[in-house]
Amino acid sequence: MNEKVIQIDQLVKRYGENVAVDHFHLEVYDGEILGLLGPNGSGKTTTINCLLSLLQYDKGDIRIFGKEMRPEAYDIKNQIGVVMQNVAVVDTLNVYENVDFFCGLYVGDKKLRKQYVEEALEFTGLTDYKKYKPKKLSGGLLRRLNIACGIAHKPKLIIFDEPTVAVDPQSRNAILEGIKKMNRDGATVIYTSHYMEEVEELCSRIVIMDHGKNVANGTATELKATLMNRETIRIGLPEKTESVLQGLSEINHVYKVKIDGDDVVIKCDGGDHNLVHVLSYLTDQNVPFGRVSTELPTLNDVFLEITGKELRD
Amino acid sequence: MFGRIFYYKIKELMRSYWLIGWNFLFPLVLATAFYLGFGRMMTDDPEFFHTIPVGYIVSEDVTEENAAFLDVLAELTKEREDDVAVLKTTEYDDREAAIAAMNANRISGIYIIGADIETIVAKNSISASTLNQIVRTYENHATTLINIAKDHPESLQKAMDLLSEENTYIKEHTFQRETSAYMQYFYALLAMTALFSSWISTVILEGICANKSESGKRFEVSGAGKLSSIGAGLLAGLLLQCLSNTVVICYIEYVLKLSFGMPIWCVMLVTTLGSGVGISVGCLMGSLIKNPALLVVVPLAFSMVCSFFSGLMWGNIKQILEYHCPIVNRINPAALVTDCLYIRSTYGATPMYYQNLVILAAITVGAMLLSSLILRRRNYVSL
Ligand SMILES: Nc1ncnc2c1ncn2[C@@H]1O[C@H](COP(=O)(O)OP(=O)(O)O)[C@@H](O)[C@H]1O
Ligand SMILES: [Mg+2]
Repeated sequence: MNEKVIQIDQLVKRYGENVAVDHFHLEVYDGEILGLLGPNGSGKTTTINCLLSLLQYDKGDIRIFGKEMRPEAYDIKNQIGVVMQNVAVVDTLNVYENVDFFCGLYVGDKKLRKQYVEEALEFTGLTDYKKYKPKKLSGGLLRRLNIACGIAHKPKLIIFDEPTVAVDPQSRNAILEGIKKMNRDGATVIYTSHYMEEVEELCSRIVIMDHGKNVANGTATELKATLMNRETIRIGLPEKTESVLQGLSEINHVYKVKIDGDDVVIKCDGGDHNLVHVLSYLTDQNVPFGRVSTELPTLNDVFLEITGKELRD
Repeated sequence: MFGRIFYYKIKELMRSYWLIGWNFLFPLVLATAFYLGFGRMMTDDPEFFHTIPVGYIVSEDVTEENAAFLDVLAELTKEREDDVAVLKTTEYDDREAAIAAMNANRISGIYIIGADIETIVAKNSISASTLNQIVRTYENHATTLINIAKDHPESLQKAMDLLSEENTYIKEHTFQRETSAYMQYFYALLAMTALFSSWISTVILEGICANKSESGKRFEVSGAGKLSSIGAGLLAGLLLQCLSNTVVICYIEYVLKLSFGMPIWCVMLVTTLGSGVGISVGCLMGSLIKNPALLVVVPLAFSMVCSFFSGLMWGNIKQILEYHCPIVNRINPAALVTDCLYIRSTYGATPMYYQNLVILAAITVGAMLLSSLILRRRNYVSL
């Protein structure tokens, strides 16, 4: 196993009555892209803010690069790059100046900084917009500038907090590709999102967060494997009579029958030949049916299974 | 790191419309308004730069003691250290000729020296009050001189010397005070400009503190030390404020052509200390205030209120405070700045002048220390 870059133990952060982060634990290993997946309000940003010593927390232990993280731990901070959820740039400075300014907080050497800034602009596709003021940039470009400002100094650990919110699909793909490239170049990445497709595509390991708790963790395959004995059958059914639905739900191993548009979605847990049983039931009852498909579990199903609610509302 | 932050904060501030508006344009507009309002009186008043022309007539019934007034007049027509004589006298034979000259504006007033000294003046002006005051002072001294002559004739010469020193007193304290009454408004304007820097300060803090802005978060997650980042930002703010002061000072001195009555660097020294107070008090405000709207309103209100009590809108307020509640004038930074400028131009570098400079510096240091304690203690932010 690789070296531990981040270790969070028993982290608790309360806002009055509201427990935003609840005995959360997290380990991040060198070289991985760790996805922190959770719905809005699940405590991802709060966790990141505590991790960065921006926020004081009620309880817990946070270590980065094996050292205790504290507000004045500048040697640790120097090796971290942060891309916050909200765009943080200076309106009166142009694109180049913004990146140079924030890179300058880390890199003192003038020549090296110039090179880094140019590379970051290249990397985020902003080279043509060097002289633009942030106000003149489109939403997607502004997000890219936000990223360039956070990563220009080539940090060993990069934290992205929902960098693709409100970004057009093209920019989004560019951002995801960029993150993969930085990871290939050696950076460890934490990536928070409430988009499961993104996390599934990008991350080598996923931690699912809900109500401030770490509710599951593993690779996307591992997480879905916990549901592997689950089967979802989707059938086009023109006549959805009460008795047919009742009959379907009484088949062995079927635990849920749901109407989804023209289709009926049947969820089975365990058992073999569920599809055969369902189809023979329909044939016996002389119920006409259309297209039939079975679906593999998604991260949404995993989330649903653990929390009893959908990831997307 | 420090240099980078300093450099970019300068850039950032120079491109901010609010800063150009409030710290550069507004004082210039106000200075112009003051100038158009009463600046003319200052440059046109003859005794501001020029000698007062006065006529005199010696009547036949002149007493011996009033004849001595002629010596005083002779004394006052001599040039002083600054090459300006107080009076330029012309003798007339009769009242009609003198009045004709006065009506023709050749002289500002007439002394008729007889059993009494009668003063006739053209209009109620500063010249008039000066001419009257010369006579009053003379009369007070005449009594003294006569008494001395009676009791200690050997001291008469010394008393005469004192009298001529007293003339110097008239010159310095009457004439310049009158002109400074107008300059007071410009001093208060400079004080206001200097204190506007408190707003620069809150803006700087806003950009560097994580609980105040998104870009502030970048500072606090970076390896740049918080206090040195803020220090670099404040230094940039101070530099720009001094630039703004210089522009306003040069505008008053060279464009409006109003004399401060002291070398330009003296004015700049005082306004720089005033700006130091603005920057440090602004930093204190920034470290205490959370509400973003208040971060703008409080420094502006602070500058305005302080300048109001130092006589920006109504020149007498400071005298009234001095009488009823002098402590306000000792701690109001705007009043300290105007006092410094006034004292320096009127009396030179007196102990009071240095005392005020020291108080300004002390407020700066105190506010800086206090805010660095607050900022240092706040390791974490409340987002
Ligand atoms: N400054 C705050 N004051 C009070 N409650 C907050 C504050 N910030 C976040 N919260 C609460 O903490 C919880 C977690 O929020 P957040 O970390 O922003 O979630 P996420 O980033 O996963 O969307 C939410 O219930 C939110 O309402
Ligand atoms: Mg969030």
